[in-house]
Amino acid sequence: MSASPGKAVRYAYLVACVAGVLFFVMSVGLLGVWPKQVIDAQTAAMSPAHPLGLSASALRGRAIYGREGCGYCHTQQIRYLHTDMSRFGAPTLAWETRFDYPHQWGTRRIGPDLSRVAGTRSADLHFAHLFAPRSVVAHSVMPAYRGLFDGAADRPRQGARDLLAYLETLGRAREIAGPEGEAHARAGCNCPDDEMLQMAFEGAVNAHSARTRREGDVPALPPSTDLERGRRLFGDHCVTCHGETGEGDGPGAAALRPKPGTLVEHAYTDARLAEVLWHGVAGTAMPAWRDHPPADLAAIAVAVKALRADRPEPALPAELQELGARVYAANCVQCHGEQGDGRGTAAAQLTMAPSSFRDQRPSLDHALRVLRNGVDGTPMAPWTGRLGAPEIMAVAHHVRSFYEGGTR
Amino acid sequence: MPRVETTLVHAHGIAALVTLLLSISFGIIAAFQLLYPDLGAGVSWLSWGRVRYSHTQGIMLGWLGNAFLAFLYHAVPILSGRPVTSVALGRWLFALWNFAVMLPGWVLVLSGVSQPLEWAEFPLVVDGFVVIALVMAAVQFLPPFFTRGLEYLYVSSWYIIGALVFTLLSYPMGNIAPEFVAGAAGAAFSGLWIHDAVGLFVTPLALAILYYVIPAVTRRPIYSHFLSMLGFWLLFFLYPLNGTHHYVFSVIPMSAQLTAITASALLGVTVVIVVANLVLSMRGAGFLPRDPGLRFVAASTWFYLIVSIQGSMQAQMAVNQTVHFTDWVVGHSHLAMLGFASFAAAGGLVHAWQRIPWARYNARAIDVGYWLVVAGLVLMVVDLTAAGLMQGRLWASGAPWSESVQASRPYWIVRAHGAALLLGAGFISFFVGLTTGARGGGLAAIEHGAGVEAAGHVASRLAPVLERVS
Repeated sequence: MSASPGKAVRYAYLVACVAGVLFFVMSVGLLGVWPKQVIDAQTAAMSPAHPLGLSASALRGRAIYGREGCGYCHTQQIRYLHTDMSRFGAPTLAWETRFDYPHQWGTRRIGPDLSRVAGTRSADLHFAHLFAPRSVVAHSVMPAYRGLFDGAADRPRQGARDLLAYLETLGRAREIAGPEGEAHARAGCNCPDDEMLQMAFEGAVNAHSARTRREGDVPALPPSTDLERGRRLFGDHCVTCHGETGEGDGPGAAALRPKPGTLVEHAYTDARLAEVLWHGVAGTAMPAWRDHPPADLAAIAVAVKALRADRPEPALPAELQELGARVYAANCVQCHGEQGDGRGTAAAQLTMAPSSFRDQRPSLDHALRVLRNGVDGTPMAPWTGRLGAPEIMAVAHHVRSFYEGGTR
Repeated sequence: MPRVETTLVHAHGIAALVTLLLSISFGIIAAFQLLYPDLGAGVSWLSWGRVRYSHTQGIMLGWLGNAFLAFLYHAVPILSGRPVTSVALGRWLFALWNFAVMLPGWVLVLSGVSQPLEWAEFPLVVDGFVVIALVMAAVQFLPPFFTRGLEYLYVSSWYIIGALVFTLLSYPMGNIAPEFVAGAAGAAFSGLWIHDAVGLFVTPLALAILYYVIPAVTRRPIYSHFLSMLGFWLLFFLYPLNGTHHYVFSVIPMSAQLTAITASALLGVTVVIVVANLVLSMRGAGFLPRDPGLRFVAASTWFYLIVSIQGSMQAQMAVNQTVHFTDWVVGHSHLAMLGFASFAAAGGLVHAWQRIPWARYNARAIDVGYWLVVAGLVLMVVDLTAAGLMQGRLWASGAPWSESVQASRPYWIVRAHGAALLLGAGFISFFVGLTTGARGGGLAAIEHGAGVEAAGHVASRLAPVLERVS
């Protein structure tokens, strides 16, 4: 070879240099600018007419979410895959992200995706979890954000409230848009042949398994006698709030309003346990556990029943029987219903469904405590101002009489 | 005879080592926090997210950035036959990079001022200084290459030019655009940068080192200059087109995703060409070369091959749907940034260090460091890859979410107690290797040298093997 490769090589390199820069420009055009055009057009066509922006509090919360790196464990992008959709809900549409400066899609999912976390957990549960994650989720590896609180989970500082306000915006816009919004988006998409985009309109918008439901079908739990497995699962998932013995005094209980159910004080029918495990208890921190196999839920139900101390309950003196029915009819039926099924005329107005005494029976002590003290965090008020001691005793006995579950 | 500014090589080398130790400390803390989540609870600057931000920014800008600059101060005068533009500019660049980028970057991120974008976590104000520093680096290192015709440029020179030019183009796009482009569209730009950071900044400079150290140590020209050029141009054409593969199955237009997936596959083929050329150039040096610089470089070459083929594979939809979002990807990024890039940077640093007549050098500590880091890396990648497959399967099975977290614990134990500590010990040993021992020990350790081979004198001897056309 000659000492100088000559002009041809030099021109070849010059061409390559220009091409190199052009390839870079092409990459920005093809994978950045052009997708932006498509996404902008999609957003314009599919977004609700008056999208709800973020409040000042939510914006501050988003800054906290960003600075703490929440997005490095929690994605905010439900992929167009059935495995993502069945767990979290409808895949993320472009218009849902239009206020995200910057986007928070994330690339690692240690905790669950948060795109549709709005409305899936109660505020007190969020606060308890942010303050001390393992006090409510035993196996959580999330850091504790104590700096957002004033020393306790039920004393959130502004930062915690802001962060919660932000979390409650995630997925909200699409849920508020409702079926009309979905129809509008579908029409705007005008993409009947785009297999991928069509997936955006399949199934539930929010599929979070923990989300509580007020009512709906509950599959019957399979028969189970696996107390040992039930106890283990109870230890894994339930003791953080309900406590080892079911007294409702687990480490997470302190911050929750209303308090976790005192399992030890109640007799439950199988149907009630199935309902609570499947739907959670709307209006409380009790989430649904639909993602667990039915056999596991059945085992948990066995363990819950085994918690109740079998102790003799005093019988109601005959002279108070009629008094109990009268007091109940005068004061309780509006919420708890004539039949004690929790379906009184006012029930539908309440966030938390009133207790049904037909499928859960409190101990006499518990019933008396509730009547005397009320239940903090629910509409159930103390009755000592209105009812005398004999009346309270009578009605406490009366509500126990509705139970249909036999001795256990 | 071009002058090598050994003071600047040394200064950036020490800065690289210090930022390396800090950066891996952040990584180790983050790894342990997944096992002991209350570690550092109540201390806001030690919370997981901030530590995680500091880890990757520190590795990319602090350790690799400084190590690359140290290498450039050694190699550019030798490759170009000209000194770098200005020593005074070099002092400013050093000060800016370490005291206007790294130090405030970390302080701000740890105190809660950051931007939540991957590989771009330092806040905008710091990005401004990065861009200024990149311009200064271009002024410092590019002019020496343009005193002769392009046809004389050796492949390392091409990679250096490419890196300096394209990082300057891509850095603002990735760090600034997503702040002003919302949501999905911003993610598209963010995806571009995630790959450009690796492909246009880290990879070319690492390859410049591999292509430089191999002939400099073996004293033979590389196997094929033609293949080196082919590989160079294909890499620069293909790398930028990869970005969207970070968001497969997203709402970003499918045709953009498919473009990126295709480019990813082609990139794997290109890397095979590059690595084949590098491996053939090392023929005769053995699988474990005795020269420590070359040994790091040889390991880097193999890791580059593995990580690139793995990358081409995981960009494909069938694989991506299972492994995306899992620890598999964390293993992949460590194979890239640690196995490929950091081994290259360490090789380049050792090579330059040996040729500073007054630099301390402890061959034994460097050897120990090498093996500890190799062991730690292999353990980590195998462990996280297995963890990722497990997580992907559990997610697809519909099992409760907490099961995947609980099942990850054994893998995280291996990662933290095994791999991370091995890596920590290895890099401490590496640090000791370049800061203790006799002054000028490196020069004495060069086997083929048979006499003085300080940086200033290397140029004429290396000319035949580094010349583009020989």
